[in-house]
Amino acid sequence: MFAIEANGQKIEAKKGETILQTLTRAGINVPTICHMEGLLPSGTCRMCVVEVEGFGGLVPSCSHPVAEGMKIRTNTPEVMQTRKTIIDLLLSNHPDDCLYCARNGNCDLAKLAADNGVRDRTFRGERTHRPKDISSPAIIRDPDKCILCGKCVRMCEEIQGVSAIDFVNRGSKAYVGTAFNEGLNVSSCISCGQCILVCPTAALSEHKYIDEVLQALANPEMMVVVQHAPAVSVSIAEEFGFKPGTDFDGKMVAALRRVGFDRVFDTSFAADLTIMEEGSELVHRVQNNGPLPMFTSCSPGWVKFVEQFYPEFLPNVSTCKSPQQMMGAVIKSFFAQKENLDPKKIVSVSIMPCTAKKFECGRPEMGRDFVADVDFVLTTRELAELFRIAGVNPAAIEPEPPDNPFGERSSAGKLFGASGGVMEAAIRSAYFLLTGEELKEYKIQDLRGMKGSKELRVKIGDLEVGAAVVSSLGQARKLMDEIKAGRSDIHFIEVMTCPGGCINGGGQPIGADQEAIKARMNALYQIDRDDRLRVSHKNEWVQRLYTEFLGKPLGHKSHELLHTHYEKREVLL
Amino acid sequence: MTLTKKILVVDDDIDHLDHVAMILKAEGYDVIKAQGQKEGEDAILTTIPDLAILDLMMENMDSGFVLCNQIKRLYPETPVILLTAVKSATGLDFSPKSSGAARWIKADVLLDKPVRPEQLRNEVKRLMA
Repeated sequence: MFAIEANGQKIEAKKGETILQTLTRAGINVPTICHMEGLLPSGTCRMCVVEVEGFGGLVPSCSHPVAEGMKIRTNTPEVMQTRKTIIDLLLSNHPDDCLYCARNGNCDLAKLAADNGVRDRTFRGERTHRPKDISSPAIIRDPDKCILCGKCVRMCEEIQGVSAIDFVNRGSKAYVGTAFNEGLNVSSCISCGQCILVCPTAALSEHKYIDEVLQALANPEMMVVVQHAPAVSVSIAEEFGFKPGTDFDGKMVAALRRVGFDRVFDTSFAADLTIMEEGSELVHRVQNNGPLPMFTSCSPGWVKFVEQFYPEFLPNVSTCKSPQQMMGAVIKSFFAQKENLDPKKIVSVSIMPCTAKKFECGRPEMGRDFVADVDFVLTTRELAELFRIAGVNPAAIEPEPPDNPFGERSSAGKLFGASGGVMEAAIRSAYFLLTGEELKEYKIQDLRGMKGSKELRVKIGDLEVGAAVVSSLGQARKLMDEIKAGRSDIHFIEVMTCPGGCINGGGQPIGADQEAIKARMNALYQIDRDDRLRVSHKNEWVQRLYTEFLGKPLGHKSHELLHTHYEKREVLL
Repeated sequence: MTLTKKILVVDDDIDHLDHVAMILKAEGYDVIKAQGQKEGEDAILTTIPDLAILDLMMENMDSGFVLCNQIKRLYPETPVILLTAVKSATGLDFSPKSSGAARWIKADVLLDKPVRPEQLRNEVKRLMA
């Protein structure tokens, strides 16, 4: 530690940190655009410039190391004017359609302009125009709103290892585009939506299906059912001003009924069902020398990633559909049969923390006789919008339980929302299925937390299983390359596309920092700690579904409805 | 013996026309290609397609709509897919699935360009099932 001076005050600095890190720790606010926590600085936007005594020009604080004795000023007239000019220049090429913009009320650029006193357009002239890309069922790109900060490019390449988008051209002709300038739909984009979370404007947003859902709700001939994913209940409250980690489970269920959904189901039920199928599949592979390690298949971004980048691993991916699709399949079969309804008369909606689920539900294999398992997917953000449009305030409603037959869940199913949760749920049930006894301690600490890669060796009876959990596809890539190079001590691998899992999914509320994501994660752990039903195999309604309809895990009906197949995918690279 | 299904593909962009035709031929369909509205109009006078895939903006901004209406008038049972980049190009948003637009868009499905091969194959199979 050493001392520096900032705005006339003495503050402590640490060796090796940047000026920005020192100032932020001392509570001095320096605006940034391109800065991304945890990644190397790129220093492209210059918003964070500060004055350092003895330096010729202004210094970008995000990329300059702090040094002993530095005298820094962050709010001199020159610094403040420079920031204003940068914002002015960005706005000079930005459309004035805030009223209709997807990020209205939540735009980093608008906030920067307001915070830095930019209240008028200084530079007027011709703007560049590029068509919107609406081809993807998950993500919409509007290049006109892009301010070239590069955060989406870095997220896609450095965190996700996908590189579906990159800078094209230079100088005033530069834009962010796909390979061959074709639509995202035919690119290597895996629809994870992490780019949306880091985009400061609405250059990237989700493909919305709110109108389609409202239209279905208004149609008296259709039964509209909805399922909600485990990670949504612990984040939706943020959209209504509550602190991260607030659980709105019952309130959300009640609010969905007020909006007009005929039935409200809990996707965590299908997570329990997934454990029964996937656990059985793992045991079957181990006993029959099937392809190992086995990878989970809950995360649709990951599945597309394997199909296009690692097709040689496709036999290793579990054939289980994701919980969303399993739920969709039993809604349009078992539930339709029970209600004596034609599946074509059911509109199945799902609320997901994920944009890739929008892509997943449209996969041709995710349905039967051209009737899709799931018709429309709304993100957590769209759900908040739907509540507002319908004039329903979940905060003011008494909680209600979801509907049966797909309403009961174990807290193990709820844990699917956090990285490591699928593995924890699987180990709890595998232990019982293989030994006939319950684990003494359900909580498996080694699998918890935000770390991108977690490993565990676990003894279940005579079987020693190597388990690995990775979140973000950059981490998945590392592990797969190790396996390709000969690593063979791992048998079961959970992969979540988004860093930290679905709690940090691409469909979650925008603006969450690491602390907020941890709070969502801890909320799931808290639910698990307090729940009376903590293992998937004890979910009575799952057992009933097997007894009354499916038969047994991996049985004929399960294969028909709950399992799928994958194919090598050709995309533009 | 079942006859091979005939699909009419109309697009003024030759690359796109060939691309779509290639996907469909690989599936065993008989593909009739027409490069633009005029060629499309000629084609439907001599052939009854089992399905048609039409670009929208060709000689005119509404070429695809016009051709679609002609096909539906002549062959009401023939499903039509509009495969277009019109929404990106114009900023307009419409869909034959919405109750208002269904009155004037006679196509069965509207797909936004570019489509994934499996997406197109699935729509074609679904509409001819």
